[in-house]
Amino acid sequence: MSDASADLRVTDLTKQFAGAAGTLDVLTGVDLTMRRGDAVVITGPSGSGKSTLLYIIGVLDEPTSGEINVDGLLPLSLSAAEQARFRNESVGFVFQDHHLLPQCTVLENVLIPTLANAKPSSGIEDRARTLLDRVGLKDRISHRPGQLSGGERQRVGICRALINEPLLLLADEPTGNLDQHTAESIGTLLLDVASEQNTMLLCVTHSHELAARFSRRYELTDGKLVEQET
Amino acid sequence: MSTYRLLVDNLRHYWRTNLAVVLGVVAATAVIGGALVVGDSVRDSLRQMSLDRLGDVEYALTGGRFFREELAGEFDFSEGHFKAEVTVAPAITLTGSAAHERDDLRQRASGVATYGIDERFWSMMQTTEALPTEDKVFLNRRLADELGATVGDEISLIVEIPAAIPRDSLLGDRNETDTELVLTVTGIAEDATTPGRFGLNPAQQLPMNAFISLDTLQEAIEVDHRPATPRNPTEKPARVNALFVDVFGYGNSQPPELQDLNRELAKDVQLEDLALRLVTNEKHGYISLESEQMMLDNAVVLAARQAAGEVHASPLSVLTMRDKQMVKTRLPPLDVQRSPVLVYLLNELWNPHDDKRFSMYSVAAGIDFAEEQPFGPFEYVNGGPPQGSSSDAHIPVVINNWIAEDLGVGVGDTFNTKYQEVGDRGELPEHQQSFKVVGVIKLNGPAADPGFSPEVEGITDAETFDDWRQPFPMELDRVTSRDEEFWDEHRTTPKVFLRLDDAQRLWQSRYGDLTSYRIAPTDVTPLPELAADFERRFLALITGAMIRLEADPAIGRRMLRATEVDAQAPPSGLVFQSVREQGLNAASGTTDFTGLFIGFSFFLILAAMLLIGLLFRLGIERRVSELGLLSAVGLSPKQVRRLFLVEGAILTLVGGLLGCLAAVCYAALMIYGLKTWWFGAIGTKFLFLSVHTGSLIGGFIIAAVVAMLAVWWALRQTRGISTRELLAGTSEPSLDAAQKHQRGRRAGVMAGIAGGMAVCLLAATFAGLIPQTEAFSGFNWRVVTFFLVGVAALAGSLASLAWWLDADRAAAVRGQGVMGMIRLGLRNAARHRGRSVLTASLIASATFVIVAVAAGRRNPAVEQPVNASGNGGFTLVAETSTPILYDLNTSQGRAQAGMDLSGESEEQQIDAMRVMPFRVKPGENASCLNLYQTQLPTILGVPEDVIQTMSDEGRFKFADTPSDDPWELLTAKLDDNRIPVLGDMNTLLYSLHKGIGDLVHVPPGDNPGGTLQIEGMFDGSVFQGVLLMSEANFFKLFPDQTGFQYFLIETSPDQSSELSTILETQLADYGFDAERVSDRLASFLAVQNTYLSTFQTLGGLGLLLGTLGLATVMLRNVLERRGELALLRAVGFRAAHVAWLVLCENAFVMLWGLAAGALAALLAMTPHLMSTGADVPWGGLQAMLLCVFAVGMLAALFAVREAVRTPILTTLRSE
Repeated sequence: MSDASADLRVTDLTKQFAGAAGTLDVLTGVDLTMRRGDAVVITGPSGSGKSTLLYIIGVLDEPTSGEINVDGLLPLSLSAAEQARFRNESVGFVFQDHHLLPQCTVLENVLIPTLANAKPSSGIEDRARTLLDRVGLKDRISHRPGQLSGGERQRVGICRALINEPLLLLADEPTGNLDQHTAESIGTLLLDVASEQNTMLLCVTHSHELAARFSRRYELTDGKLVEQET
Repeated sequence: MSTYRLLVDNLRHYWRTNLAVVLGVVAATAVIGGALVVGDSVRDSLRQMSLDRLGDVEYALTGGRFFREELAGEFDFSEGHFKAEVTVAPAITLTGSAAHERDDLRQRASGVATYGIDERFWSMMQTTEALPTEDKVFLNRRLADELGATVGDEISLIVEIPAAIPRDSLLGDRNETDTELVLTVTGIAEDATTPGRFGLNPAQQLPMNAFISLDTLQEAIEVDHRPATPRNPTEKPARVNALFVDVFGYGNSQPPELQDLNRELAKDVQLEDLALRLVTNEKHGYISLESEQMMLDNAVVLAARQAAGEVHASPLSVLTMRDKQMVKTRLPPLDVQRSPVLVYLLNELWNPHDDKRFSMYSVAAGIDFAEEQPFGPFEYVNGGPPQGSSSDAHIPVVINNWIAEDLGVGVGDTFNTKYQEVGDRGELPEHQQSFKVVGVIKLNGPAADPGFSPEVEGITDAETFDDWRQPFPMELDRVTSRDEEFWDEHRTTPKVFLRLDDAQRLWQSRYGDLTSYRIAPTDVTPLPELAADFERRFLALITGAMIRLEADPAIGRRMLRATEVDAQAPPSGLVFQSVREQGLNAASGTTDFTGLFIGFSFFLILAAMLLIGLLFRLGIERRVSELGLLSAVGLSPKQVRRLFLVEGAILTLVGGLLGCLAAVCYAALMIYGLKTWWFGAIGTKFLFLSVHTGSLIGGFIIAAVVAMLAVWWALRQTRGISTRELLAGTSEPSLDAAQKHQRGRRAGVMAGIAGGMAVCLLAATFAGLIPQTEAFSGFNWRVVTFFLVGVAALAGSLASLAWWLDADRAAAVRGQGVMGMIRLGLRNAARHRGRSVLTASLIASATFVIVAVAAGRRNPAVEQPVNASGNGGFTLVAETSTPILYDLNTSQGRAQAGMDLSGESEEQQIDAMRVMPFRVKPGENASCLNLYQTQLPTILGVPEDVIQTMSDEGRFKFADTPSDDPWELLTAKLDDNRIPVLGDMNTLLYSLHKGIGDLVHVPPGDNPGGTLQIEGMFDGSVFQGVLLMSEANFFKLFPDQTGFQYFLIETSPDQSSELSTILETQLADYGFDAERVSDRLASFLAVQNTYLSTFQTLGGLGLLLGTLGLATVMLRNVLERRGELALLRAVGFRAAHVAWLVLCENAFVMLWGLAAGALAALLAMTPHLMSTGADVPWGGLQAMLLCVFAVGMLAALFAVREAVRTPILTTLRSE
């Protein structure tokens, strides 16, 4: 599986949880490579460790062992501040619970990641507007999250994830809280914008409908990724 | 999007939570800033009271000594660089008593400050009222109310007549000690006016003032102007005993200051201002320095000896102004013969071998036998002057041939004498002394001189013995014709001469050991010239004055100066004090009200701080996924923290600014409280709000720091939570079993450390390792230690709670029904350990306050007289306006004091009482009733027999006094002539800020006449506000104080009221004022108890904030677990079950807090609980704790209501 030219290389990743009843092995040696423009989906039963893997790749969690290489960078070895910068510049998250700030407008929510930018980048607001236009929310930019539907909120979440043009877009059950019709449109949108932005899309989901639309599909079984036939 | 924009949105969106945080900051700022403003207000009020109290009086000269009224008119500041209007007002200040009768009801007041004044003094009182004249009196409101007198009423004012010769010396007048003035009230000065509160001692309590015409008072007490008459050839000027000065400078000119006034005063002082006179004896060729008080005091004798060149302690110099240059030349000592003399009156001389040979009322003189002309030598008929040593059994004397003949004795014979002394209680014990004749002289030359004896009006000027106006009984029937003949021819000429040191051993008193100091020229210098020269030198030495000598045109201006004598602290004691400056300095206050109110509000501040932290934390918990998101999108933890800190800072800023406004309102409320509800703590209604911007800024800064610490603490709680957990809404770090175990162990260790510290401190205290000295702000180390023990116990118990909640057993849920619900409730308490511990802390703090306050109360009014207690076993304490010289324990003494008992019942009660008299040197009121900073309190002189009785009977309870017999410490000899004193612990620690071993200077300042060393402390005694020293030491420091003015009376408590009435009636002329010891102790404790009430009230506010915090926490808990509660109800739990669940959790936290707070408070208050008079209202305390519990449970009902009304289906779906 190792590919030296890959933009994302996950090598022999393990994760154990210590509990009162003993140690629980969630990931037992995960390997994964991706290139720009790749769209990968991971499925698996609840508690199989899908989200854990996603968050480890997004350096929101730490593995027990293993290595991650993103475009030549080893984010797991970075300091907390450098990891934060890495997340800000190279990673975009799309959550099942979109986590929009109720106090901010749609536009402001999209711009939230830019608060962490070291330097103010010109035209960032235009980019936010473009993204919102792209996801069909041009007319809702001054609305608050409380005034949006579930699908609209998730679209805002996608725009927020893409605002800093990340190398890696991580989606955790992006359609989990949506009805079928909305889920379909969000899935389409996610794949389309990832392709347009030439970013790697890694999605974990229960949804077979969503998974079926990805070119590369994996199932997490017994702590290992098993590639599914397309 | 910008950080600013996000901040604004955050603040707007979460306005409810933010408002709560802002209100918390407002509360903290209001309390802290308010305490500072209260401190400023009390200080400024005291300053203003000082200024109002003194009117225009800037400087004052008081001290009891009477001097010429003209002295007031001799100040001249027209020369030199001064351009100021200086008014010097002569006055008489006396303490007396007053009475007023209306409708057969006679109302009395003692301790009345009586002022004899003229228009100069009245102009300083800033009043438009008419000056009282002739038989009019102007009262202040307090005295008028005490007497029930109104304008136009007639009142009696009784004041002491100053005695020329001290009353407790042989020739002192003990018969006419006081006089009654019947006066008409012409006006009443209200409390807010200067005459209404005029007084020199700094105290906020209003005095009782009576102002009368100076002329009237002078005439009444016989110090008015007496022209020369054939019978009294010496003219007597009008006298006063006080000068008050108002200085008003013009423009930029320099008004005279204290040192200028004292220099001017020193220049104007004459011998008669010091009750001295120089008598020229032309016949025998000498001048004699004598005192109107009969005895020359030690300072006068020293100055006289220096002036006469006998000792050279202070060089005299002549300063000559020549060509604008000051030239100083040493003045050669006077070349004179000197003769110090001590004369005494012998009642009887008789031949022991022939009792028919006797002589009555003869004078004996102690002299130096080696003297030459004109004082000697004597012409001896037989024998010679005494040689060698003498013993008391046979003191060698020389007698004149007149008495030798009368007694039939010659050289080698002995004869006996009897003479009287004045005893400690005004009795006149007669002593017998044997003299051995070593020489007989002729009654001529220097020996035939009545000038040996100073003039004593009514005695030395009497024609016959029958005309003597002596204050002791005479046996006139034994006066022989020879005695009359001698008196007729030779008057006070001594019949017996003895060596001066022998005479001083027999007859010296605390007033001195010489009756005259005589000098004579060795050349032909005329006596008037010598007298003038001596007087100049003497006055320079006793006053420190620059004496102006005759101007010599050839030389220039010349001044005489005693180089080492300071006019600011002269031996004469005649010196101005800057009463205004002293008053303003004293206004800095004994009690730091800023510290006091910060202390009172400590738990309120703590509660506000915890509430800020709690509310901010709850705000963060609501927005915990926001924290996670910000972190997920790349904001570093530092950036996220900064964002929230800035938010906290903005809230703090807004809260702080609003809090400044609230601080003013809070301080206004506190000031109002001090003037009304807590009046006992201040004792004055003249407090006003004084807001200093600096204090508000200070309060704002302190509160902001405190609030930001709380915010920082709240944010810190999220530090260990991963971003993923934050995103999932986890607000507390998720810990695995090992981490939880470790955290529990840490809490256990903390509990152990705190508990161990409490035990160690307790052990150290009981082992006596903790000193009883002041630690800070008047708190002694023992009290501080116990407070620390209490705090450690509190911390320990809360750490124990944290440890217990982390232990697995705390979370075991099993069983059914109510017990099962209780266990689930406990599990819920353990779920948010931090929240539960914080809530318990709030409750514990509030409980601590309430229990500590309740445990701190005392009620001495119910205490019975017990020897080893604060009342010393005495029932009554009494004070008089004028001293009583006699022993009230004997019928003779009572009769001498003027008591005339009418019935058997009265006699029985009087016979059954036992009186302990104390001498009094009035000083400042250093009890806790006085807010001003005092330096020298009233001093009590304890007679030897009283010390012995107190010691034998183990009277009073002492604190930390290193002696088995503390009373005997009063008689100890200390290094450097320090005088041992005892004082009440409260007076010493809180008012004087002194502890055992510390020194007090008398008078305070750079030139103390004596140094007192604190040797022991009474514990909560009736002696609050005074210091006690032995009578012997008292006389050394205050020889002029006569009689007794403070009494402790032992009697049955049942009869105390009746006895008090008898004594007050019988001794009304002395202004005898008795009150129950327990009442006086209660009045002292009123201050302490008022402080406790204040503390309790502010603690109650803390409790209110605490319960608000509890309600917030419970509500949050319920809201968080809505799904869980909905589920419980979905599976069949009734609403009552859910209510139980919430209440159990709440009750557990509350009970832990209540128990921890109560036990810790009782530990902290142990010193008080172990002390005399601790009066803990256990019933009330339990009721209060129950009330706290009830309030807490009521607060939880909001949460219960929220829990019960949660819709099941919607909640479950939304989850």
